[in-house]
Amino acid sequence: MKLLRLLGAGFSMSLRRSIAFRVNLVFDVLLAFTGLGTAIAAVLIVFTRADTLAGWSKAQFLVLIGTYQLITGLRSTFIDPNLSWFPETGIRNGKLDAYLLQPASSLFLASLSLSSPLQLIQVVLGLGVLGWGIADHVPTVGGLASWLLLVIAGIVVTWALSVLLACLAFWAPKLQLDVFYHSAWQLGRYPTDVFARPLRILLTYVFPMALIASVPSTALLRGPQAGVLIAGVAAAGGAASLAVLTWHAGLRRYSGATS
Amino acid sequence: MRTAVLLGFRLRQEVLEWSGAWSFLLTLVVQAVVAPLIGLFVWSAVYPDDPAVGRYYVAVILVTLMTESFEQHTFSETIYNGTLSHELLRPQPVVLGVIGTNLAIRAWLTLLGAPIVLLTAVSLRVGFDWPAVVRSVPYLVLAAALVFLWTFLLSLTAFWTDRVHAVVGFGGQVMFLLGGTAAPIGVLPDGWRRVAEVLPFYGMHGLPASVAAGTQVGGSIGYQLSWVVVLVGVVVVLWRAGVRRYTAVGS
Repeated sequence: MKLLRLLGAGFSMSLRRSIAFRVNLVFDVLLAFTGLGTAIAAVLIVFTRADTLAGWSKAQFLVLIGTYQLITGLRSTFIDPNLSWFPETGIRNGKLDAYLLQPASSLFLASLSLSSPLQLIQVVLGLGVLGWGIADHVPTVGGLASWLLLVIAGIVVTWALSVLLACLAFWAPKLQLDVFYHSAWQLGRYPTDVFARPLRILLTYVFPMALIASVPSTALLRGPQAGVLIAGVAAAGGAASLAVLTWHAGLRRYSGATS
Repeated sequence: MRTAVLLGFRLRQEVLEWSGAWSFLLTLVVQAVVAPLIGLFVWSAVYPDDPAVGRYYVAVILVTLMTESFEQHTFSETIYNGTLSHELLRPQPVVLGVIGTNLAIRAWLTLLGAPIVLLTAVSLRVGFDWPAVVRSVPYLVLAAALVFLWTFLLSLTAFWTDRVHAVVGFGGQVMFLLGGTAAPIGVLPDGWRRVAEVLPFYGMHGLPASVAAGTQVGGSIGYQLSWVVVLVGVVVVLWRAGVRRYTAVGS
């Protein structure tokens, strides 16, 4: 509860800072629109030449893009402002030292205390595309509930992956994999069935981008499957536990930026 | 002659400086190849029996690596942190340094990305007609000039806004959609294709890749040259306006 209050307070302060710069707001809105427009246009081009792509129809693809955009928006709002370029900002510049001196959990402060509220535009746009996709195919209550559960699991996995990536800085402070991570993230916009088998396995089990959009979208479109739900929740729990353990192992190794 | 010598010195200096950042350059390679790779997978799923798709996208990956530009990171940052003042005081055009950095990064990306191109080509069993590859060289040179001019033009907006990354990001999205990476422009709907053939973006990636893949035999050098001239003109106008607006840090 205390952490939720802290999250709310951080969001409120970030929001007030953000709306002070109205031109930036315009840029963010425009970029969110064009980014999503480009993604949708790229898919619509495909469907001028084919009825389905890897078994997904146009409407199903829109559900996938909407879900992907929703999770990407939440990541950009709550996770990226904290953990992007962590080796540089957190470790080498010593920001982590300040977090360690504060009474709240250092993992919470380092991974969720800042936010970028203007990025929530992406969430709104994502929900709009999702609505467009399911307009002709209203999902069942069970499908909707399992989609919601798997989206939450996807967000937890996203947070855990970002923390694990940041934790690498405790062992290799010069290793900067953010660009790589953001590039790989783009693959989540497409169903894993599109990719060649080795990449499909990688995206399902090693770097679980399938869980970000493909799996929740499938649940929404085809109804709940107990096995998928259990696997999604287990993946989220496992990833979060691993992130917490790795963070603490990293902290034990960390001796301060100025030491 | 003096300009060429200065550019050569700058290029050598930048190549050496960037040689220490090979791990970061590798992440840039990954960033550059992801979009064409997605296009490759998507269009291979649509046309599984057409070898031209694989050939085209392998060429797009290589063209992308050889033409990547990051002036929003290299040049625009000098405006934001004030170090542009040092460049303005030197007895040489500022753009020489920008071009030197650009060419050095491209050289490294091409070198480090070559194994990915090779691996993709081998795994897809893509074969090229080498005379077509040779014919694509002038198109590639002009494409490299176009991408640089377009990115540099957008990066100049750093004189007026601190959201240069959003501006260049928008430019990148247009390049992705209409430049032949999201889809070969031959498969675009008629209206889109006509627009794409007129705008400069096709000349940045799709055209040299099509010529190298043998899906387009020739022509269109004039189209690329015209856009180079137009973009140079706009860059010069914007540069002069930007420098007039620029106020050095500390003044």
